[in-house]
Amino acid sequence: MRARPIALLFAVIALSPAEYESGSVAAEVHFSREILPILSEHCFQCHGPDEKSLKAKLRLDTKEGALGKRANGTAAVVPGNPKESQMFLRITSSDKEEKMPPEKLKKDLRSDQIELIERWIKEGAHWGSHWAFDKPSRPAVPLDPSLSAILNPIDNFVADRLRRAGLSLSPEASRAVLIRRVALDLTGLPPTPREISDFLADPSIDAYESLVDRLLASPRYGERMAWDWLDAARYADSNGYQGDSDRTMWPWRDWVVKAFNENLPFDQFTLWQLAGDLLPNATQEQKLATGFCRNHMINGEGGRIPEENRVDYVMDMAETAGTVWLGLTFNCCRCHDHKYDPLTQRDYYRFSAFFNQTPVTGAGGDPQTKPFVEVPTPIQRRSSERLDLEVVRAAKELAVFEQTKFPRPSDQPVSSSQPLKDLPKELQEHTAIDPAKRDAGRLEKMSVYWKTNDAAYFEVLEILRKSVNERSALLASIPRVMVMEDQSTNRATFLLSKGLYDKPLERVKAGVPESLAPSGTHEPTNRLGLAQWILSPENPLTSRVFVNRIWQQFFGIGLVSTSENFGVQAENPSNPELLDWLALEFMSSGWDLKRLCRLIVTSATYRQQSTAARELWERDPQNRLLARGARFRMPSWMLRDQALSASGLLVESADGRPVRPYQPDGVWEESTFGAKRYKQDQGEGLYRRSLYTFWRRIVAPTMFFDNPSRQVCTVRQPRTNTPLHALATMNDPTYFEAAMHLSAKLMTNSNLKPEGWLKRAFLIVLGRHPSDAEFGRLNAALDRYTKDFGLNPAQAEAILKPGGQSFLSPDSRAELAALTVVCSTLFNLDEALTKQ
Amino acid sequence: MNPLFENRLNLTRREFFGRGALGIGTAALASLLSKTGGLGSEVSAPRSPVIPGLPDLPHFAPKARRVIYLFQNGAPTHVDLFDYKSRLQQLHGKPIPDGYIGGKRFSTMTGKADGKLILSPVEAFKQHGQSGAWVSAFLPHIASVADELCFLKSMHTDAVNHAPGISLILSGGQIPGRPSMGAWLAYGLGCDTSDLPAFAVMTSVSKGTSCGQIFYDFYWGSGFLPSRFQGVKFRGSTDPVLYIKSPEGMGRPMRREMLDDIAALNEIKLREYLDPEIATRIAQYEMAFRMQASVPELTDISREKDDVLGLYGPSVREPGTYAYNCLMARRLVERGVRFVQVMHAGWDQHNSITTELYTQCKDTDQPSAGLILDLKQRGLLDDTLVIWGGEFGRTPFIQGNLDDRKRWGRDHHPYAFTVFMAGGGVRKGMSYGETDDLAMNVVKDPVHVHDLQATVLKLLGIDHERLTYKFQGRHFRLTDVHGEIVSRILA
Repeated sequence: MRARPIALLFAVIALSPAEYESGSVAAEVHFSREILPILSEHCFQCHGPDEKSLKAKLRLDTKEGALGKRANGTAAVVPGNPKESQMFLRITSSDKEEKMPPEKLKKDLRSDQIELIERWIKEGAHWGSHWAFDKPSRPAVPLDPSLSAILNPIDNFVADRLRRAGLSLSPEASRAVLIRRVALDLTGLPPTPREISDFLADPSIDAYESLVDRLLASPRYGERMAWDWLDAARYADSNGYQGDSDRTMWPWRDWVVKAFNENLPFDQFTLWQLAGDLLPNATQEQKLATGFCRNHMINGEGGRIPEENRVDYVMDMAETAGTVWLGLTFNCCRCHDHKYDPLTQRDYYRFSAFFNQTPVTGAGGDPQTKPFVEVPTPIQRRSSERLDLEVVRAAKELAVFEQTKFPRPSDQPVSSSQPLKDLPKELQEHTAIDPAKRDAGRLEKMSVYWKTNDAAYFEVLEILRKSVNERSALLASIPRVMVMEDQSTNRATFLLSKGLYDKPLERVKAGVPESLAPSGTHEPTNRLGLAQWILSPENPLTSRVFVNRIWQQFFGIGLVSTSENFGVQAENPSNPELLDWLALEFMSSGWDLKRLCRLIVTSATYRQQSTAARELWERDPQNRLLARGARFRMPSWMLRDQALSASGLLVESADGRPVRPYQPDGVWEESTFGAKRYKQDQGEGLYRRSLYTFWRRIVAPTMFFDNPSRQVCTVRQPRTNTPLHALATMNDPTYFEAAMHLSAKLMTNSNLKPEGWLKRAFLIVLGRHPSDAEFGRLNAALDRYTKDFGLNPAQAEAILKPGGQSFLSPDSRAELAALTVVCSTLFNLDEALTKQ
Repeated sequence: MNPLFENRLNLTRREFFGRGALGIGTAALASLLSKTGGLGSEVSAPRSPVIPGLPDLPHFAPKARRVIYLFQNGAPTHVDLFDYKSRLQQLHGKPIPDGYIGGKRFSTMTGKADGKLILSPVEAFKQHGQSGAWVSAFLPHIASVADELCFLKSMHTDAVNHAPGISLILSGGQIPGRPSMGAWLAYGLGCDTSDLPAFAVMTSVSKGTSCGQIFYDFYWGSGFLPSRFQGVKFRGSTDPVLYIKSPEGMGRPMRREMLDDIAALNEIKLREYLDPEIATRIAQYEMAFRMQASVPELTDISREKDDVLGLYGPSVREPGTYAYNCLMARRLVERGVRFVQVMHAGWDQHNSITTELYTQCKDTDQPSAGLILDLKQRGLLDDTLVIWGGEFGRTPFIQGNLDDRKRWGRDHHPYAFTVFMAGGGVRKGMSYGETDDLAMNVVKDPVHVHDLQATVLKLLGIDHERLTYKFQGRHFRLTDVHGEIVSRILA
């Protein structure tokens, strides 16, 4: 046996939210932010909302339960008096049998938590509900004359928070940093050197604001905003599961881009996607939007019980809506009442009942399971109109011909014609059908017969047959987007034991979670009502949940870091007043998303530089207090788009059909035993924006690391730092070809000398000019590589082989190869990978 | 520098192994790293730094340090391979006697099982070794190592379909989205090498089969754990790890130069921004460089002796076969990888018990046994846990027509199946648990998949109730809210 080095284990030092506050004054303990999370984490498992696991009939999640007198005259919590509070006595007991939480649960309280509870009881045990379930009330914008650098109210909240922590906002980042940051944030693409120099030279006082307005107006804005929505909507181009048939949901994806670009107010955006089909006189577009709900996986595995599938789909739709709009972890309630949140299993099934009304049966794996809408492209629509006319015309000509061929009195059917009666029986049947209604099969059989018997008849038949064939091929190619539709009779919804489709318990009616629906409000009965309830100003969650995700998009982490969960176990917001203010501002602006984005990116908070003193990195590693600008690695799709854009390879086109860019050989084949073959595109398809890449659900595109796989709804993208990512950006042909293409582009620009190539490349990739040290290092590398490749022309040829032959004369090839390696170096710098 | 800050910068980041770049200087770092690069070096050469796991792990002294899971995708038939019942031969062709079915749920292919006909095992069974374990003639090599094995004959699960069943046994939940076992172990225990990932996956498919089992990537996903813990797929092609090869024409010296430039320029940025993430990035690029050497070294089997290769059978030299993957599994664990998941599809014999099952067994029998022997002769079996098994069993009754022997099959059967384990602190030569006389239902010492998981974690020194991760406000664990350790199989 070999000895293995024993892993050295280091304690992870993490700051709890309270600790990044320095020298904070002991303010009154805040129940919902400080006490409720402790109770939830350590007590609710047995003393919470789940009645089945309730111990000692004691509930600590309600005021009555915690403060009320118990049968024996004591109370768990006696305001002002920890020593008489049974709960406090139990958590501080030295008797193993008495002590709470029980040792075996491994949920011991820390001494600081016990002290906090003691203080809270002493201060009167003020009760409250979970912050996110209370309607936000508009907080006063903190005004402090000493605050400087305020550009809009966001900054007042942030600066006030920082002041309390003994910190202040950092200075604004340089213009070069700012334009790259905001261009990537709003369009997902870096600025061009021209855009950079224009911005740097713009003397007007609102140069930055004008830049922001230009970016928001760019059609690329919609493409950028769509990505996160697609992850949330688990959008993919195939079903998932065995078979993984290709689907055609992409017109829905294009609609999302369009809706963002047209700045469709978020309430409409929501209403259409949840219930567009139920709107009065619903338009095709409103129906199309409901494709959101149908983006779930479809299981076509042989032997699956249809009803089991169907129930899975309904649950997926309900849980997705719960996460996307309400930030609730509904899935816990499939099997039991929520352990922490005031959500019951009944609530879950009542909520799912809204989605339980479609005619979908769950049988089979048809990737275009009805109901669907057909969404032809403009070209398809024109072709279809043309072919309709052609078929009509050809059918008419045939009718005329057959009138002569099979003469009969005008009031008699063709079957009465004697010449027809002499023909084979089958042919008589085909001919008896109106030419305009004959399908391709009948026409085919007739053609075969008449080809050798009547050339003239055959010719007329063929014209119709070809048109009909062409039309059916076209119709089959028109994308069908699965959408929502409720069947006319209400399908009964049952509470299912442990979430099992075949273990129905009691029947439930559609409804929203009781604890979230203020009594007396109008109860929604269908999806439209549900959507309206979600958007009601009374709903405490929707706006908070969504503005938090937009914040997360720009800052890399939400004001509530658990953006998928706003329940009791959610992390407390780092700046609760700011979150509420933004949520209310967003609603009162008429759910104007572009306005919200503009508000955020024009704040001084957003515009801060992202450098910081060592002490600050140490104290606030995740930048929760916002004393500096955000700095984090871009999503992998944005990295790819950046490389394509910087190199000039990017093809921007409005064709929504998914494309198949570079992917290593065999990836699909290995996962599907050859059933799915990846046929890489040639030309334009290799260089489209990442958004249009074909998304095979069972084996997601390999070039997008750290992205949700789109199997289920995901609203928080992971962000990790692994060697596999380095391998991808160094070796994926997309990136290397981009380096080569960029190099060739620079070298064919006759105005530039080698030094100029480098400086220009640096500017294009990083959006700024290199320092002397940086330039020196890269220039030395360029010289070295040029010499190496000069001595080894075969190596230069090998490097330039993919797509490199057409560039430049043979004597420049060593230089081109060398510059390619240097540009690949640039694409792999931390700064290139990072939005800073 | 503030020591606390440095500590945090370097050491609290689990991905930041060894010394960070900060303060060492690139040249020194590069030379340090090139020494551990290990081009073609013997495995016993100086090891790259380990990647630490969680500070409170292991919870107790581990018996196993690493796992090789030989996952048999599609559900091998326990009835024909391990769970011998003479009564099945007696009742061949007769309806299932009363009292065995009782409203049980089967796949829609079977629908209601009442009245189905019993199908006798298609090959002969014999007892093997001192332990007297029953193994069918399908698996002579596995039979020959029976005394090394511990058979769990009372496995049962909740799922009747493949994807949910595999997801349940590998990740603890039927619905995709939870971390798989390997990801949990990578997260909890780290890795004994930084040249290779902690969790490696390989897939293969039986030569004879055409059935459409699919390897979903959630079978080795990291779920809500950080994605660096997900299984890294080693492919049986010229590019064993995606993007491992430098572009044509870029040799290793040039790649080194490029990385030196990247590190130098990143250090300038680090001094300006002081963002610890930059230091991590420098380290990760260095690991990528080491992987570019260690992966080709891993897959270069030219120095393997013929008698060793012979253990794995004739197709061992053919990349992408089960035999080749078994050999790679040994080479991976030998180099410090924590969890190797070898997945082999083709066990779904709905209508091919008398045909494809033979090919399937032929492809997997010798390599599985060979791996155990090879680990043993290297002294690795003591602390390497090998698990062999699928997601459920197959019905003791027939699917198909009794008169059409060529198309005999068995449907999915979640109520009983057999898994075997070897090494890593498990008792040898043991059979645990029992099914009834038709191999239909477990009657003694049932082992649910969550129990298996709890036991595997226990062998690795982990309390399955304490390895948790908080997500969506809940502390998740591999065994969900279940799992009893099967203590009688612990050596």
